[in-house]
Amino acid sequence: MPRKWDWLKDEIKGLELIRSAPLIFKFISGKLNGPDDLVKCALCPNMCRHACPISIVDGKETTSPAGKARIAFFIRDGKLELNLENIEPLYMCLSCDACTQWCPFEFSVSNLTRPIKEEAVKKGITFKEFSEVFKNLKEYGYVYGEPKDEKMVRDGNILYLRGCTIREKYPEVEKKTSKVLESLGYKPFTTSEKCCGIPAYNLGNITLFKKLAKEQAEIINSSGADVVVTSCPSCAYAYRVLYPKYSIKINPKIFHITEFLEGKIKGLKTKGRVTFHDPCKLAIGLKRPELLEKLLLSIEGLEVKSPRRKGKETFCCGYGGSAISRLNAQLADEISNERLKELREEAEVIVTACPTCKLAFESNYGKTLDIAELLYDVLRG
Amino acid sequence: MTNLEVVMRSNHELPSDVLKHLISILGNRVSTKDVDLLSYSRDYWPITLHWMLKGKIPALARAIVWPKNTREVQDVVKIAYENAIPVYTYGGGSGVLGGAIPEQGGIVVDMKKMRSIKLHEENLLVEVEAGTNGYYLEKYLNKKGYTLGHFPQSLYPSTIGGWIATKATGQFSTKYGGIEDMVLGLEAVLPWGDVVTLKPHVRSATGPDLKTLFIGSEGILGIITKTWLKIWPYPEKRILLSFASETLEEALDSVNRILKRGARPAVVRIYDIVETKRHFYKFDEVYGKIATIIILEGDSKLVEAEKQIIEEEFKGKALGENLVKHWLETRFNVKEASEFAPLGVVFDTIEVSIHWSKAIKLYRSLINVMRSVKGTLFVSAHASHFYPQGVCFYFTFAGIPKGDPTEYYNEVWDVAMKTTLEVGGAISHHHGIGRQRGKWLKEDLGLAFEVLKKVKNALDEKKIMNPRNMGV
Repeated sequence: MPRKWDWLKDEIKGLELIRSAPLIFKFISGKLNGPDDLVKCALCPNMCRHACPISIVDGKETTSPAGKARIAFFIRDGKLELNLENIEPLYMCLSCDACTQWCPFEFSVSNLTRPIKEEAVKKGITFKEFSEVFKNLKEYGYVYGEPKDEKMVRDGNILYLRGCTIREKYPEVEKKTSKVLESLGYKPFTTSEKCCGIPAYNLGNITLFKKLAKEQAEIINSSGADVVVTSCPSCAYAYRVLYPKYSIKINPKIFHITEFLEGKIKGLKTKGRVTFHDPCKLAIGLKRPELLEKLLLSIEGLEVKSPRRKGKETFCCGYGGSAISRLNAQLADEISNERLKELREEAEVIVTACPTCKLAFESNYGKTLDIAELLYDVLRG
Repeated sequence: MTNLEVVMRSNHELPSDVLKHLISILGNRVSTKDVDLLSYSRDYWPITLHWMLKGKIPALARAIVWPKNTREVQDVVKIAYENAIPVYTYGGGSGVLGGAIPEQGGIVVDMKKMRSIKLHEENLLVEVEAGTNGYYLEKYLNKKGYTLGHFPQSLYPSTIGGWIATKATGQFSTKYGGIEDMVLGLEAVLPWGDVVTLKPHVRSATGPDLKTLFIGSEGILGIITKTWLKIWPYPEKRILLSFASETLEEALDSVNRILKRGARPAVVRIYDIVETKRHFYKFDEVYGKIATIIILEGDSKLVEAEKQIIEEEFKGKALGENLVKHWLETRFNVKEASEFAPLGVVFDTIEVSIHWSKAIKLYRSLINVMRSVKGTLFVSAHASHFYPQGVCFYFTFAGIPKGDPTEYYNEVWDVAMKTTLEVGGAISHHHGIGRQRGKWLKEDLGLAFEVLKKVKNALDEKKIMNPRNMGV
């Protein structure tokens, strides 16, 4: 079978060798890597624009995916100054990685522009809106400040890591998740967990991220658990995808709650109509675009209405990425409302599997159940 | 603007009272920040990629605005008109000829916050604001059981207003037509700020069809704010066919006969030998030959009948579905510019149209003259859009110039445009004119160019709407 660039070799044969021609030969022969990823992204006409919630709702070239790459490229090249005004568009990113699904190179714009954010943080060029997060994470290992006095469940056979937002905002989801796990014969226990570090990672504070990750890894590894279940897909993503990139090892097996329940939920029946919102870190980050829908469809009698954008085409709730809800709360809510409008066309009740998505929708008056809440209600009849 | 060189530098400034006035209307949806001005300094004119890599940007506006509705567009245009300030309308920025570049400074009006959609199912119409993203609209329609049938390669980044302003067409055009066949009505803000509505009647004999003035107007006559587009029920059935031919003539003749018999495939694409190798290198059976892919879609009985006609008329070896599936999977993979521009390769496409009688002559002439420009690595083409009267050829060229990339680029363009005119083709089929083709439009249109100029001058006395674009 001919190879990818054979046609070009055929065409170039016999042509006078001129400047750059040897480069082309090397490139098409696979002996040259070509331009780096940021440059490639900066040269793209935004072929992932339609998938980017910021691009659709904010509608600016400056915050479009390739627009961000261009700004990062110019800053890296010394053509634009590294200052707050110039880096602000780079933070207009939900880190949902919807862009990766449409890019022929599978680039994540969030990853491509992160080195500029890291450099800015190292040089002390950070927004005042981030300082409280950094302070809370440094002092308490918790994004919301000093944690409340929490009642721990010390004994059990699986470790349930709740994540900061469940701990702070949704204690009832914690209880119901435990009950669902218990109904399946497991005995979940909790511990004095810390933040997984993703907020620091998203904001470009890699030093802080690594510190938190190491501390959290120590807590998990010393818990004695073989299996860890979490309600937060971002936490699961951090433990399974990010930590290994920084050589931080987690010994137990990590599951998001939907992954853990897969195949275990059987014989449930209920009535009603729901739609669902696939969290980006579950659908794209953990590469399980079908899981939430599959779980819902396994419940007999439940009418499950699919939204226009689901699975790998899911649309972030607006509160992802740690930056936008702090720098531009209005835009975060506009994105949330864009998604809510679409979901409400399908059903009044929205089911999701991420505490941040639940928070985003409920902050904008959208009735939202965590998957564990729905299962708990169905189990109770 | 830090260390960036501006290629088309303008001396026009934006008076401070004008800026204050804009802010009083749009609040924080007005920007003069460097990062914003920089982001609207270009569209996707390929030569500007080389400029960008060298730290050069084409031009800088003085302010960017993001209106949310027609009223706000009017307000901005009125301010610009009163103060004779240039106005550049911006959609998705995927135009490839520099049509959206703010070369006289002025105000860029980004339409992307205007994106409401209203479906009129009973009348098979959708009412949509100009800033709506193309793929967003198509997905919306699909969920409701419809399609627009418009699939330009810029479907993902472009806007509906941009499609109309550039007179775009899409990959499924042989069945659904170009955007001009889909627009039933439109609303536009005129250069002095009034709104004209060209109503979406099913057809009307109310004088010349004035909406066509705005289709392909590239921002020189006003700002399109809303449109009513025809839609189709989502196709019930799709059939994929492909063929290998020995010669381009054989493949073109086959399609000509098919269209004469009244069949209307949605997609027909005929690739020359170089492009067949390039796109279908994984398929031994077509390597070194001419590949044709065809997609039929619509009512199942109708497409079965069309399939029968195609099988009767197409002279070549039938290859089944796999080539077409490969094309469907890869048709939006825009990679080459990103991979090759940083290596010094100048890369672009030129699309022209021609009657059947001169199709082969145009193909061969353009391949020869473009190849003859010193530095050219390759020139190839496929026929991408078909009509009972003729065809659109879509040429791709790449070269490594010894000297200035822009000079090489212009040289290839010049020989291509000159030869197209000599053979009797149209210098643009669907990319439009922009800044790159402006100097050739007069020759293509003849006296009609003067008509266009008179229309422009009558509507835009102060010449504020995308000045210098299209050479008018």
